[in-house]
Amino acid sequence: MKVWLALALILVGALALAVCAGHEWATPFDLVRAVAGDADIRSRLLVEWRMPRVLAAAFVGLLLGLGGAVFQGVFRNPLAEPYLLGSAGGAALGATIALLVPVGVPQSLLLPLLAFAGAWGATVFVIAVSRVAGAVDAAGMLLAGVAVAAMLGALRSFLMLALSDDTISLQVVLSWVLGGVQTPTWAVLGLLAIISGACFGLTMRLAGGLDVLGLGESMATGFGLEVKRFVAWAVLAGSVVVAAAVAFGGLVAFVGLAAPHIARWFVGPMHRPLLPASALVGACIVTIADAIARAALPPAEIPLGLITAVAGGPFFILLLAHRLRT
Amino acid sequence: MQTSCGMVILTAACALSLSSITAEPITVRDAFDRAVTLPASPQRIVTIFASNTEMVAALGLADRIVGIEAYTRYPPEILDRPLVGGRLGFSVDAVVKLRPDLVVVTPARQAAHQLVDPMQRLGIPTIVLMQRSVSEVLANIRLLGRVAGVSDRGEQLARSLETRLASTMQRLKGRTPPRVVMITGRLGNGLLLVTRPGTYTGDAIELAGGRFALGGRGVIAQVSPEAIMSADPDVLLYAGSPADRDELIKRPGWSEMRAVTAKRAYAVSRVELLIPGPRTIDGIEHLAALLHPMASEQ
Repeated sequence: MKVWLALALILVGALALAVCAGHEWATPFDLVRAVAGDADIRSRLLVEWRMPRVLAAAFVGLLLGLGGAVFQGVFRNPLAEPYLLGSAGGAALGATIALLVPVGVPQSLLLPLLAFAGAWGATVFVIAVSRVAGAVDAAGMLLAGVAVAAMLGALRSFLMLALSDDTISLQVVLSWVLGGVQTPTWAVLGLLAIISGACFGLTMRLAGGLDVLGLGESMATGFGLEVKRFVAWAVLAGSVVVAAAVAFGGLVAFVGLAAPHIARWFVGPMHRPLLPASALVGACIVTIADAIARAALPPAEIPLGLITAVAGGPFFILLLAHRLRT
Repeated sequence: MQTSCGMVILTAACALSLSSITAEPITVRDAFDRAVTLPASPQRIVTIFASNTEMVAALGLADRIVGIEAYTRYPPEILDRPLVGGRLGFSVDAVVKLRPDLVVVTPARQAAHQLVDPMQRLGIPTIVLMQRSVSEVLANIRLLGRVAGVSDRGEQLARSLETRLASTMQRLKGRTPPRVVMITGRLGNGLLLVTRPGTYTGDAIELAGGRFALGGRGVIAQVSPEAIMSADPDVLLYAGSPADRDELIKRPGWSEMRAVTAKRAYAVSRVELLIPGPRTIDGIEHLAALLHPMASEQ
């Protein structure tokens, strides 16, 4: 219980800090005044622009934390991360099309839709490819993921070269790919909250199966788990979660990898507590990283994915070193 | 004899300094086809990008500019204004801090992407300007004049620029346009950025009496040096310093090109041809003189 209270408090602290953070730091007093309905433009900036963004960042982190925990559980590999099965490449391709091809649909709608479709479609494609190739085990799926990601990456690069010009800049695409939370309207934020809740419910249903699977495939079969079916389901569920995160936050590196590990320090390896803990940790990480992204280098904004990668890279190396030694 | 742009600004500003400042609400449609309404003539303008800053300044409104971005270098009197963005993007916070009553932005880099939506939500009038042709640049000057409540000045400035364009075109009448390639940048992998048709710079080349040696409308902006060599243009333009041009044309293969042997590889001004503002007309006049040296002596 103490652990949950601590995690919740850390998240609340991170959210408060993030709302204050920006090129123009707000004081807690400014915040109270803004929430009370002050009409000054700076107060309205806090309410209309910064708060939705901070909350969106938290939801994106939550989804990445969930997705990461599911993928590490399914592949029984602590180095698994949610973008492994092509979702990153697919989402980036979808976003590139939305940003560069004039379709006549508002970009604010098209971008998340195509990013989601790309992420989810790429994962389904990877699973299909690995089935056709007869490589239905985890390693086969991962390899199919690498191949598909390479193809999608090449396609995206070509589109970027061919379609960008003075008015539609490469930088818009690049900055999306490097990760960045789009500030939603309050209505869209509500939608994101509902999606996040649904994703949480969906992944919690996998918790029992993931625990059994963790004992090894033969043991899991012995416990009555249809391993192949469960793995396919879990991967699809995990990619819905990741696709939702990608649609709202772009590609945010390493959070899905790191959050479950940090959560395990708090709550151990069982998935029923691990999933919510990983979600909370993910939310804290992205909230703080997004605050740094906005505040560190005024008047510019550093792409969020760069912050998480710079902080997450060393974490990954430590993890690898630790794994190789044991 | 060419009228310099500075003189035009000065004349426009002097002649119309007493023109009335409207207090009526102004509604215009911008390049994104958004209806933008200003309650009154704006007094605190944030201009994103050099082109927009130059146009507002050319309307004699430099003193109303309260914020610019990091790569704006002209006119000198606005260089002390606070920066609201640069290479890494644009800051909503920094713009709001300046409490502008108008933001002028162009969808280049990430500016429109990052600023239009938040400004709309916060109720700060924001107009988006595009410049796909020289006539669109002139239309932008008129639009900015109307938005800023100085339509007469906008009209006068645009008209004087049009007169200069017309007289340039008059001089070039009946001349054979040389085949031109304009290089605007070099990429690390050896590819070169070239000006394409359907852009204001491409338009400027054609107005100055040139035609494209390379490709049609669909051509990609990055081309290989080989493509330029095989196109073998009559005139090679390099938007940059003469030293950089020399460095390029001394490379193997380049020295045999028609334009290089005929000493028609020119370095041209980046600010005149790559910033879509009033100075673009200066650029067209200078370019016309390079492409048709005989015509400009008449």
